[in-house]
Amino acid sequence: MINNIPGLCVLAPLLAGLFVMLSPRPSVARRLFIGAVLAALTTMAGWAVTHVMAEGPLVLRLGGWVVPYGIVLVMDTLAAVMVTVSLFTALGCVLFGFADTPVEDEHPLRLPLVMCLMTGINLSFLTGDLFNLFVGFEVMLLSSYALLTLEVGARDSRHAFPYLIINLVASALFIGACGFTYSLLGTLNFAEMIVRADMLAGDFRLTSLGVFLAVVFSIKAGAFPLYYWLPGAYPIMPAPMTALFGGLLTKVGVYVLLRIFGTVFPVIEGLQTAFLWVGVVTIFTGVLGAVSQYSVQRILSFHIVSQIGYMLLALGLPGPEAMAAVILFLIHNILVKSSLFLVGGTILRVNGTDTLTGTGNLWRAMPILGILFLMQALSLAGLPPFSGFWGKVAIAMAGFNQGEWVAVGLAIAGSILTLMSMLKIWLGAFWKTDPAVPVNNDGRARWTVAVVALFAVAALWVGIGAENFARITRHAGAEAVDRAGYAANVHGANSTVYEGKQP
Amino acid sequence: MNNQLEAAVLVAVLFGAGTYLMLSRRFLRILFGFLIISNAANLVIIGVSGDPTGRGTGTVGEGGPGNAVDPLPQALVLTAIVIGFAVAAYLTVLFYRLHADRKGTSLNTLYAEGQPGTAAAREKEIDS
Repeated sequence: MINNIPGLCVLAPLLAGLFVMLSPRPSVARRLFIGAVLAALTTMAGWAVTHVMAEGPLVLRLGGWVVPYGIVLVMDTLAAVMVTVSLFTALGCVLFGFADTPVEDEHPLRLPLVMCLMTGINLSFLTGDLFNLFVGFEVMLLSSYALLTLEVGARDSRHAFPYLIINLVASALFIGACGFTYSLLGTLNFAEMIVRADMLAGDFRLTSLGVFLAVVFSIKAGAFPLYYWLPGAYPIMPAPMTALFGGLLTKVGVYVLLRIFGTVFPVIEGLQTAFLWVGVVTIFTGVLGAVSQYSVQRILSFHIVSQIGYMLLALGLPGPEAMAAVILFLIHNILVKSSLFLVGGTILRVNGTDTLTGTGNLWRAMPILGILFLMQALSLAGLPPFSGFWGKVAIAMAGFNQGEWVAVGLAIAGSILTLMSMLKIWLGAFWKTDPAVPVNNDGRARWTVAVVALFAVAALWVGIGAENFARITRHAGAEAVDRAGYAANVHGANSTVYEGKQP
Repeated sequence: MNNQLEAAVLVAVLFGAGTYLMLSRRFLRILFGFLIISNAANLVIIGVSGDPTGRGTGTVGEGGPGNAVDPLPQALVLTAIVIGFAVAAYLTVLFYRLHADRKGTSLNTLYAEGQPGTAAAREKEIDS
């Protein structure tokens, strides 16, 4: 019974999205329904985290097929944490959309597409085989293509083009990678791949396959030099959708890199070093791009790239400690990044623009928004006691323990540049007083600030209650790199009896 | 395993042709390039799954396992083809949208200076 939770996390958003399409006009009832579904799923996934930590991973064999042959959904601690955080983020972004747009102005397809997007994201987190990962990615990407151009104006529609083309090529390469994996290992099931990859450890063909997969997922994650589709595309959407994309989509790529190179493949030495240095270069290209921009959403979009760099850097350090550090950083980054985009959306709403030459007066008009922004910006830069500090400390400790002084030193230098571009937003939007800048602080703006506060409280909780979160992420990290344990757990699911039928 | 060289050559030719078309500026060529690349990727799966006698199969045909074909790559390709169709449909619609927004059928109009549909943008379109 409890084994069905992974299935529900995939199926429920899809069914809810389709159900909502039965009433083609936006209405309050639709909003309540979607909000309730997302809140219920978030609660369930949160409960599943505690359950999985106590009882071990949940494995669902779809259709009751025996493990290496059928499709499996696997919810271990890492997957459960990611599902919880991403559902929470989706809930927050959807609520921001409710606050930001009156019911009659909402695009009728926005909510169904968001639910389809969540279906794809959850399937990518929970899947136990490589081809379903491809399917999950495609469901996610098709919804994201549609959302990207759903409400875009004639001036900005061209930015969707690079996003689409790069992702199409990456998807074609992904299919090719599935083919090569099947030809080399004879299976696409992660658990079975672990067993067979160990037999080939050190083999040249396995290394080439690893490099191929690394390139595919680095495109999806937005790593240097494959990131340039990202910063232009995200800001063309309405603020809540930018926040959802900016918070989640690239992180799915990072999660898959964790899953493939932490769990499925044995450690490939050269690739680890490559991740480490690609991470460092990504930090700097992203942050320097951010420093050169003059609009809030574009600055934040370049920061997505920069933050991906920290995750890749930690991915380049083998072992459970670094894995736990990446997971903590992922949780922090999803929450903080989404809420910063939502602050940007509120600025856009109140000042009528988010270009830093046309904004201002916000500290006097909306001190609470200013405080929330400062909290999240300092967290992004990595100052205590906010969540980003603990994420970066964990990564730095893992790096120092493995003797990577230079890379970690450069990463910390990157944090200072992060602080610089955050200060630019602070000075341009909050501190500056300019009587010519309009301040439209209406009732809706107060609700949007309330949603931002929800995220800020969650992120602050990660920062102040870091001990708890570190316990979860250490468990998740240890479980994710315990390759034999993962394989044993998934194969062990064959002993589960469905409806009295023994397989 | 004896038919893999032909498959490899075909995949290489298709990927090469698709990449060449996708790097051009006309929308139509980019669309054709994408269709070729996605078919090349499907062919990779079929190509590398190759010889049915090399591997045990899930189903057994008449006359023993030797006559059976591994069904999994076919299932994978079927899924990939369907997804490829959906994406191609979206790409076509996006090109139509770009045409409606920028009054052109090549990438030059997307990155031309000035407002969409102005004389400068159209001149660049003609030059390409």
